[in-house]
Amino acid sequence: MKNLLIICLMLLLSGCVDKEILDDINIEVGVGYDLAEDSKDKYRGTVLFQEFQPDKSVINRTFSGSGKLRQDLLIDVTRQSSEPVVTGGLKVAVFGPKISRQGIYDLIDSFQRDPSIGARVFVVTSEDKAEEVMKGEYGTRGNSTYIYNLIQHNIDNRDIPKTNLHIVSRDYYETGKDTFLPRIKKIADDKVEIIGVSLFDKDKEVEILPLKDLFFFKLLVDKYSKGNFDVKLEKGNFAAVKSIKSKHKIKITDNHASININIEGIIREYTGRKLTSEVVNDVEKKLEKKVERECLKLLKQFQELGIDPVGLGQIKKTQHRKFDYKKWEDEYKTLEFDVKCNVNVEETGIIE
Amino acid sequence: MKEQPIPERLQISPFLVFYMVMSIQIGIGVLGYQRIIAMDAGYDAWISILFAGGCIHVIIWLIYKICDTAGGDIVSAHKYIAGNFIGKALSAIFIGYFILFSLTVLRTFIEVIQVWMFPEISTFWFSFAFMALCVYIIFGGFRTVVGIAFFGLVLPAYLLLTFGWAIKFSNYYNLLPIWDHSIKELLTASYHMSLTFIGFESIIFFYPFIKEPKKSQKWAHLAVLTTTLIYTVLAIITFAYFSEEQLSKQIWASLTMWKIVEMPFVERFEYIGIANWNLIILPNVCISVWIASRLIKRVFNIRQKVGVFFVVAAVLSIINFLDTREKINMLNDSVGKMGFVFNFIYIPLLFAAVMIAKKLKKGKKK
Repeated sequence: MKNLLIICLMLLLSGCVDKEILDDINIEVGVGYDLAEDSKDKYRGTVLFQEFQPDKSVINRTFSGSGKLRQDLLIDVTRQSSEPVVTGGLKVAVFGPKISRQGIYDLIDSFQRDPSIGARVFVVTSEDKAEEVMKGEYGTRGNSTYIYNLIQHNIDNRDIPKTNLHIVSRDYYETGKDTFLPRIKKIADDKVEIIGVSLFDKDKEVEILPLKDLFFFKLLVDKYSKGNFDVKLEKGNFAAVKSIKSKHKIKITDNHASININIEGIIREYTGRKLTSEVVNDVEKKLEKKVERECLKLLKQFQELGIDPVGLGQIKKTQHRKFDYKKWEDEYKTLEFDVKCNVNVEETGIIE
Repeated sequence: MKEQPIPERLQISPFLVFYMVMSIQIGIGVLGYQRIIAMDAGYDAWISILFAGGCIHVIIWLIYKICDTAGGDIVSAHKYIAGNFIGKALSAIFIGYFILFSLTVLRTFIEVIQVWMFPEISTFWFSFAFMALCVYIIFGGFRTVVGIAFFGLVLPAYLLLTFGWAIKFSNYYNLLPIWDHSIKELLTASYHMSLTFIGFESIIFFYPFIKEPKKSQKWAHLAVLTTTLIYTVLAIITFAYFSEEQLSKQIWASLTMWKIVEMPFVERFEYIGIANWNLIILPNVCISVWIASRLIKRVFNIRQKVGVFFVVAAVLSIINFLDTREKINMLNDSVGKMGFVFNFIYIPLLFAAVMIAKKLKKGKKK
């Protein structure tokens, strides 16, 4: 009798919740936001769906809508889409140039509030309108997978510091640290590329770091596991230092920040005649000088802009009890830096 | 007057106390305690968890001393100090406490389901089905309840590992500088751990069901130690993962950490995690309903099966009125406070009373 009752309940109650069958819904995999042209709306958003075809190819389908809130946008899009829209598969969010200047936090907040959106979403800014970026045809696995993988392997192997939705909002809320986002550009209808990093003051973009600074930027804010850098030597020779591992240590006393950067790498390419130990020493010295100079330049630049993507304030907080953030803001304006770099070339490849 | 001892075939082995205590302690509090304690003591709050855990060991010791002296559960202890009638009246209060306890656990869990997974799920029907399951388990007797406690702890234990994903995105220097908060702030945080820690007091209610109860004391201590360590480690991971202001916005920090989990076969791990949490909630509700019904039997001399139906009816009729975040939050807070008062004020008082009664009774015998 009891068993029967429970079986009945199982059968009856299984109908209590709406079901969502993968083939019958549109999963939002990417979204782009721009400022609306119409002044009564705030955003113009473009939602990207992937349609998987029987022959395993992917069709990118975009819908645009506008509104004051992210939900308005979803309502607009739902009106155009043949299937209900769900947000659980979001991977990439792109912000257009104007909107990132105006502030993006309400949108990031809405991503955070939505329980179905993961923390590994990549938030990026774009050089041209986000709608344009969404509307390309990149790769064979769909636009959002393309952009996602593009950023992921540049974080793993190249000069983009670790980032995702969680890290962005963590830095946003952290006292004494500012956010940065990777910046992409659509260069052809089937290509996008990374062109730098957008630096934010709170939630407003204030500066764009070009590609040439990214190596030093990553040395300051993150650690490398597989970096790459070319060193120019005398007589027009070059040496490529690969497999760079880096670590930084920052110590802040009253009005002075000393930054220690430790780099380990191996030389993979050399255009000169013979790679003697003097040359290796020279490479180390040159790289050290270069890192020290460029990092100092970046830190000065951040100071002038009044932003702190390195998180010096946060580091000071962890090193000093009773940290006063108000006081720090003034201190930061006159803070002095010194950057010490130590390069260690461990190997020079399999020939001498 | 000697009470009927529990026959040995209904009793449990001493080591099972470990699972009982742990599985009733770990419930809904663990989903979001990090924010609450970080509000008081910032990122030093993990010290408060260790401190609160330490205090609980003292309380466990007191509980065993009370039960040993009074030779039974809390009802016997009340009778021992205040006689039959007043003793029963005192015990009756705890029926309400455990009904509220099961109500809080169930409603908070349903809220989690509604917010994270299925907004349209019906509170009443879910609780109805859940309660039907609980009634079924409790009708199997105390040993079945203990069995559920065992499985409700062992099967979902793998969930602890899933917090490992967050470690990759953590900054441990967030915790520095250690000891940046006053003792008072740390103590307030310890106090706010109440909701997360309560449940261990259930020993005082099922004490007569333990075979060789003295041997079980070390298991109870071990259980509390393990929960304390789990809470501390989880808090440290959480503090390293979130920045302080960000954490203050996370209602369920533990669940939010699952957002970073990435597995090839599942996009959103929360769905698996929350569904599994059902197993953690089940012994919580079962044990508290069992205790409430057991108290009804002891106090009013009604058959326990009838008592179970009374408790379930009470829970099901109240649960519909708790429909907003504020109300649920209020319920959580008040149960936490009640738990604190019961564990850290009432039990020491009871201990003192029992000790005095023992002295007096010895005096009379002479």
